[in-house]
Amino acid sequence: MSAQPQGFQQRAAQALSDENLQRSIGSLKGGFVAARARAVSALPEFEAMREAGRAIKDHTLDNLDYYLTRYEAEVVRRGGHVHWASDAQDACRIIRDICARVGAKTVTKGKSMVSEEIGLNDALEADGLEVIETDAGEYIVQLAKEAPSHIVMPTIHKTTSQIASLFHEHHRQYGFEHHVEDPAELIGQVRSVLRGKFFAADVGITGANFLVAETGSNVIVTNEGNGDLTSTLARVHIVTAGIEKVVPTLNDTSVLLRLLARSALGMDVTSYVTYSTGPRREGDLDGPEEYHVVLVDNGRTKMLEGAYRPMLRCIRCGACMNHCPVYLSVGGHAYGWVYPGPMGAVLTPMIAGHEKAQELPHACTLNGRCQQVCPVKIPLPDMLRHLRHDQWEEGFIRGKARWGIDAWAWLATRPKLYHAVTRTLVGIGALLGRSSGRFRRLPLASGWTTGRDMPAPQGTTFHAAWAKSKKQG
Amino acid sequence: MGRDKILQRIRSALGESHASEHDRALLDARMDQRPSGPKVALGAERMSQFLTKVIANNFTVERLASQQLLVSAVRALMPDDETPDISVAKAIQSLGWPADWKINYGPGRHVERLCVTQALAGIAETGSVVVASAPDNPTTLNFLPDMHVIVLRAEDVVDHPEDVWARMALENWPRAVNVISGPSRTADVGGIIVRPAHGPKRVHLIVIDA
Ligand code: SF4
Repeated sequence: MSAQPQGFQQRAAQALSDENLQRSIGSLKGGFVAARARAVSALPEFEAMREAGRAIKDHTLDNLDYYLTRYEAEVVRRGGHVHWASDAQDACRIIRDICARVGAKTVTKGKSMVSEEIGLNDALEADGLEVIETDAGEYIVQLAKEAPSHIVMPTIHKTTSQIASLFHEHHRQYGFEHHVEDPAELIGQVRSVLRGKFFAADVGITGANFLVAETGSNVIVTNEGNGDLTSTLARVHIVTAGIEKVVPTLNDTSVLLRLLARSALGMDVTSYVTYSTGPRREGDLDGPEEYHVVLVDNGRTKMLEGAYRPMLRCIRCGACMNHCPVYLSVGGHAYGWVYPGPMGAVLTPMIAGHEKAQELPHACTLNGRCQQVCPVKIPLPDMLRHLRHDQWEEGFIRGKARWGIDAWAWLATRPKLYHAVTRTLVGIGALLGRSSGRFRRLPLASGWTTGRDMPAPQGTTFHAAWAKSKKQG
Repeated sequence: MGRDKILQRIRSALGESHASEHDRALLDARMDQRPSGPKVALGAERMSQFLTKVIANNFTVERLASQQLLVSAVRALMPDDETPDISVAKAIQSLGWPADWKINYGPGRHVERLCVTQALAGIAETGSVVVASAPDNPTTLNFLPDMHVIVLRAEDVVDHPEDVWARMALENWPRAVNVISGPSRTADVGGIIVRPAHGPKRVHLIVIDA
């Protein structure tokens, strides 16, 4: 997927007047936010777990060369291959070469954010390969020629009847003649169509939630079972993973998995957690003949250098966006690239470049909710403040969005967005407050403890006054 | 070459003093010690928590006094008027499966009504079942059938995932370790939970007490 993070404002404005989208993302508040709050308040150990998760990730990042080489040695010892990719182009070339060497025609894919980040599907399709996303949500957005709008729920922006029409158009060739709107029937079609693809696949590509140095395993977390069919039935399994995904031991994965399921879905556990290690063993009746891992840098070593290192702790749970009033007002597509919401507002400029993402670090009210819910305690508002500063230093900021002007000023000059964000912030505040009083006592990144503390919009008077003060300043 | 370049970038990002002999010894020690972090306290006695959680995860469960009863338990899961056509992991081939059933002891096929595999462990904390791949326990049988039947010995239920890792030999770490916590599901259409997505619609757990 090519990065289009410029134009946030225009896309945000469109999103605000898209009723279907508003209804869909509105459901996140009642769904994931409430479920997470329930799961967390049921667990007295949760704060200790967050601290442990943060510590594991920090320790691994502080010694990343050690753990990556330990991990590599284990993969190799168990018959797998490890490839190192400096950037997106490198990563695509490595994977294209493997596909070409094994004479691949059909490629199945489990959900992988990194593969979206490096634009893998386009690269493989340009080589004439049939590439099929197998996660139901990813499959739907692939058919619709769209991008995922949420890292855990890629189809959160799509209504059931939009999906029904899409399937009616694309599934006729498989004998599904009738337009159906029942979710179970629609998923039944996906199951039936993709079952054949899993068996036909030459190469299966998955991501990795974690890479385990101790065993050389990649860990994938799913509810559908598509990742397992992808990795087990194809002749060749390729894992794509950022270099920050490695953790030392199996025990460390257990700590992080407890955090991930609760933070992402508000559940104790997902249906499937799979540890895959190398190609099929002697005597095995199934499993891939070849096992490859592509370790992707693509800007991560740059983040490792200093202020942005904590961002590499991210376990891609999506909690920060589920609790972000801006994300909940405008949806994921407004962010213009693979990673939306607060984590995306940091990752996109870091990976795609400041010049391509000037507005994103400003699409934030610094209300601090993201940091409160982040399972690995990433100080997202601090990261965003840093980015604004860096942008200013590098001369990328023009006009109103200048460093030194409060975040709410950026929002306040966009009345429609401002009102939507305020409403949403109050809504999430109520949800968090009702289910767990303890959040109120956590230190916040900024002085805005609840939506009510947000300065009320002053209409034209305010805007005029602000514009005037700007001219004078 | 990408590898050396990336490792060099990492080392320079982390600073020169990094990864001395002393540091390496500490890191090696951490790998050997495998420290474990905070766990979720069990709310009940191990087996009762396990069964409660497994049911909450939408497994169906039955307990058998002995493995001799397994074949008739599997028979009862299928319509009376059909000759069973199922796949069974070789690990449990010797349990006296009737000669007139059609039984595949190979890897999973395109269409599978029912497959039976053997569990390595059960986890009380989350109500999960761990199935490891082996020549006699193929992974595809866990994901292709409409109904997945998992056979678990009661004595293999442990408190936490960390207890499973402690029991496994890293040297012979299996190719695939599947931690299964319910049927396949998705909420990608309209946010409504649908079972199944790509994997089993029903997971039936048979706990063998002796
Ligand atoms: S930044 Fe934190 S909350 Fe957001 S996706 Fe990453 S781990 Fe989850």
